[in-house]
Amino acid sequence: MDLLAQILVNGILLGGLYAVMALGLALVWGVLNIVNLAHGAFIMLGAYLSWHLFTYLGIDPFLGLPITAIVMFGVGYGVQRGLLNLVVRAPMFNTLLITFGLEVVLTYLAQLAFSADFRTINPSYAGSHVAFGPVVIPLARLMAFGIAIVLTVGMWVFLLRTKLGRAIRATAQNLVAARLYGVEPRHLYAMTFGIGIGLAGAAGGLYGTVSQINPYIGATLTAKSFAIAIIGGLDNPLGVLVGGLVLGIIESLTVAYVGATFGDVASFGVLVLVLIVRPSGILGKTA
Amino acid sequence: MSRAMTRFGSALLCAALTAYGLPAFAKDIVLGASVQLTGSSANTGRYYRDAYQFAIDKINEKGGVKVGDKQEKLALKLYDNQSNVNLSVRQYVQLVSQDKVDLLLGPFASNFALADSAISEKYKIPMVQGGGASDQIFSRGFKYIFGTLAPASNYFGSTVEMLTKLDPKPSKVALLYADDAFDVSVAKGTRPLLKKAGLTIAMDERYTSNASDFNSLLSQIKNANVDAVLVAGHETEILNFIRQAKSLAVAPKMYSFTVGVPSADFRKALGKDADYAFGMTAWLPSAKLKDKWFGDAAQFAQDYKAKFGYDPDYHAASGVADVEAIAEAIEAAGSTDHQKVRDAIAKLNFPSLYGTIAFAENGQIDLPQTVIQVQDEKLVPVYDANGFVEKPKYPMPAWNAR
Amino acid sequence: MKALWLVLVLLALVALAALPWYGSDVLIQFGISTLLLAVLAQGWNIIGGYTGYASFGNSVFYGLGAYGVAIAMVQWNLSFGFGMAFGVVLAVVFAFLLGIPVLRLKGHYFAIATLALAQVMAAIVSNIPLAGQNIGLVLPPLNNDRLFYELSLGLLVLATLTVFWLTRRKFGFGLIAIRENEEGAAVMGVNTTLYKVLAFALSGIFTALAGGIHAYWITFLDPESAFDISLNVKMIIMAVFGGPGTILGPVVGAFVLSAISEVLSSEVTSIAGLFFGVVVVAAVVLMPRGVADVIRRFRSSGWRYFAENIKAHRL
Repeated sequence: MDLLAQILVNGILLGGLYAVMALGLALVWGVLNIVNLAHGAFIMLGAYLSWHLFTYLGIDPFLGLPITAIVMFGVGYGVQRGLLNLVVRAPMFNTLLITFGLEVVLTYLAQLAFSADFRTINPSYAGSHVAFGPVVIPLARLMAFGIAIVLTVGMWVFLLRTKLGRAIRATAQNLVAARLYGVEPRHLYAMTFGIGIGLAGAAGGLYGTVSQINPYIGATLTAKSFAIAIIGGLDNPLGVLVGGLVLGIIESLTVAYVGATFGDVASFGVLVLVLIVRPSGILGKTA
Repeated sequence: MSRAMTRFGSALLCAALTAYGLPAFAKDIVLGASVQLTGSSANTGRYYRDAYQFAIDKINEKGGVKVGDKQEKLALKLYDNQSNVNLSVRQYVQLVSQDKVDLLLGPFASNFALADSAISEKYKIPMVQGGGASDQIFSRGFKYIFGTLAPASNYFGSTVEMLTKLDPKPSKVALLYADDAFDVSVAKGTRPLLKKAGLTIAMDERYTSNASDFNSLLSQIKNANVDAVLVAGHETEILNFIRQAKSLAVAPKMYSFTVGVPSADFRKALGKDADYAFGMTAWLPSAKLKDKWFGDAAQFAQDYKAKFGYDPDYHAASGVADVEAIAEAIEAAGSTDHQKVRDAIAKLNFPSLYGTIAFAENGQIDLPQTVIQVQDEKLVPVYDANGFVEKPKYPMPAWNAR
Repeated sequence: MKALWLVLVLLALVALAALPWYGSDVLIQFGISTLLLAVLAQGWNIIGGYTGYASFGNSVFYGLGAYGVAIAMVQWNLSFGFGMAFGVVLAVVFAFLLGIPVLRLKGHYFAIATLALAQVMAAIVSNIPLAGQNIGLVLPPLNNDRLFYELSLGLLVLATLTVFWLTRRKFGFGLIAIRENEEGAAVMGVNTTLYKVLAFALSGIFTALAGGIHAYWITFLDPESAFDISLNVKMIIMAVFGGPGTILGPVVGAFVLSAISEVLSSEVTSIAGLFFGVVVVAAVVLMPRGVADVIRRFRSSGWRYFAENIKAHRL
């Protein structure tokens, strides 16, 4: 029984981390209809940024999250304005290809800049834990979970309740009308993508404290983020939280009780199932 | 205008010549290899690039290789397989059929060696590799593949022996292994060793290579109250394992890993958290290992560090052993003919900085592993074929009691 | 005009077929690799180019074909031919079983679903002992590059002829109708589900056959290389670069991109991958309708063609 409780807690905490990772992707996809296959590469860049801030400037990774997020926001804004805006009105599948190409380029540049050695972000409290009876909760993961909730709820509030958020959604839904109202869509798209990448960067900073960083982690992270975004549903920002939790718990249970090599079968199997049965996701509105 | 044209023209000509792969000096004996210089295995792959080049340079410095009555120099033709097995296979085909290298050196990792050796067998060119230890590589009856890494199945041999001599004696063991060729071989060989030593295998789990989350497995280890944990995996996985063990407060009496512990940047990445971890190596930079070209292993380690800026581990030493094996074989055969060199390699038996180089019938070397442990962030040999060398720090204390 | 075109194609074919006799070993190697990629691009063309369903799951068919051959030859000691047939059977079964539910999805959902399928297959196969689990299988070595070359060329010719035949039959028109306006096609009486699944299966058959040949040629496979997503992206890029929905477009795309990539791979290896990424990005921005379209329009628009593409698609 103790083991089951621990496994469930593991799954929930993993889910929180997953949710932060997928948040940026879901935002960009759900709102702008841009499928970003380079999402994981941006998480990786955020992780390296966080590592540099920690190693050379001594900035704690959690406290430095806003810095990482803002810098990555700038990067995202530039990428959208300079590159992705060029293909927004092309068939959707062109963005799939271009972001795939971007992923390859970013990975190679990272390997050239940072070498293939792996890095870890190791603040002194990274290994501590909090105990609730027989259940042990790693501190870093608990904090990541907390941040996940804050960011997801914050995103929900931003999109549904603030003027800028509504402007973004309006622009994405009806470009012509938005223009008539004097909205500058290029800027707005770039801002949204920037926010998405800023979130990815923050996720990277968190990821670096619980796992190790190398230039090649991008592809797997992208794949996972996709699964989470779809399972949760793209219509509602809270969906990533649901998607992350579902995936985290299913993975943990599968690894513990079925076999440690079946984790991916379970995650992607669930993804395929959701796509076939309810493509709009758990929190999505059925069309 | 015309000067620029001539310069441009000669540059073009040079480019064309290099594109056609003309070697720098026509008489060099070229050794070809496809190694992981980029991609996920790059941080170990580069040990081989550096070791191969270092050995070839040293041998050339001392006069090169005697072929019949001529002294010839060695040269290296290296490709980067980007940690992609398919590309590696195609690059070996290219080395053989386009670059027409004389002999082959191997890649890092068992799954690469497994695939690439099919090429050396297909084209009947000897390949000496120092990166693949899996017994599978040598169980196919291939005649042209040789390996300087000791068999995977015996990696935990001396560790298990040591376990029976520790006090308090461990009884429950957890065996975790990644699902690639090398680690599956290790697990397969370790199981009978554990049974023979009277230890209970409380957990026997295969996990996905490149997994980053070990929380579930660690929770199970804690729940099953195991005494010893043996992990056969890759450096990045083991790094995650140890960090997550700390954050979940999982501290068995001892844990031992097939890779990571011998390498300096692994220990650096973990800092104090690396303490108490056991590992194994078939090579230590001891002055007792004498070498024709490098003096001895200790001197080699010093020179290597001076040249490349990092300490060599057994991967580097193994790479050097490959080059030395080929050099000795060419001299013994008196030619670079593939069949003759192949037969000469099979009969080798000479001392080197890596130990005695001699290959068994199936092409694989056999060397005993020395158990090592990280103590106060330093690497200490603890147990070898003759018993205890230094006292192991056992049992491992709880994480908050360190 | 048509006759001249035909003569040119036939001449090219003869030159290609005779290559093993006048080309170097490396050229034959490169030829096999390129021909197989062209088959993959052509196979994708059927489901992606003509039917408009961008499949990221063709790598599943490729892997199934490869594993079909590997399992038949290594585990059951059967012939290569049997292995190929087995691979094709696996591919067709998969196309029908999973094609039907997945082809109901539209746009990027279909793409993502097929991507997920590829991941699932790789994960499942790495757990199957018969397939060698994650270690993979090593096939018996066969040193006969000429045979592999001619097989690959034959397969490419077959695939291209099939696409050509498609464009002349109701089936092909139905696929194009589905691509342009699926609802309209259904209203006009096209059995869209059947047509889509058949296209998927047809695409899968050629992809599986290519996978089988490749496995035997390379003598090795494991889940990661057999179900490689970047291979899928490569075949899409080549088809799109050359001109999707055309008969020779994918072939041209495959030949050109392979040539450039191979030269880079052998000389400046670490940049090869980087180049691939840059080409993808540049091609999507500057020539999203492929080389075929560039050739067609260049005569009238000149260099402005590229700028026009950007203007048409940018925000």
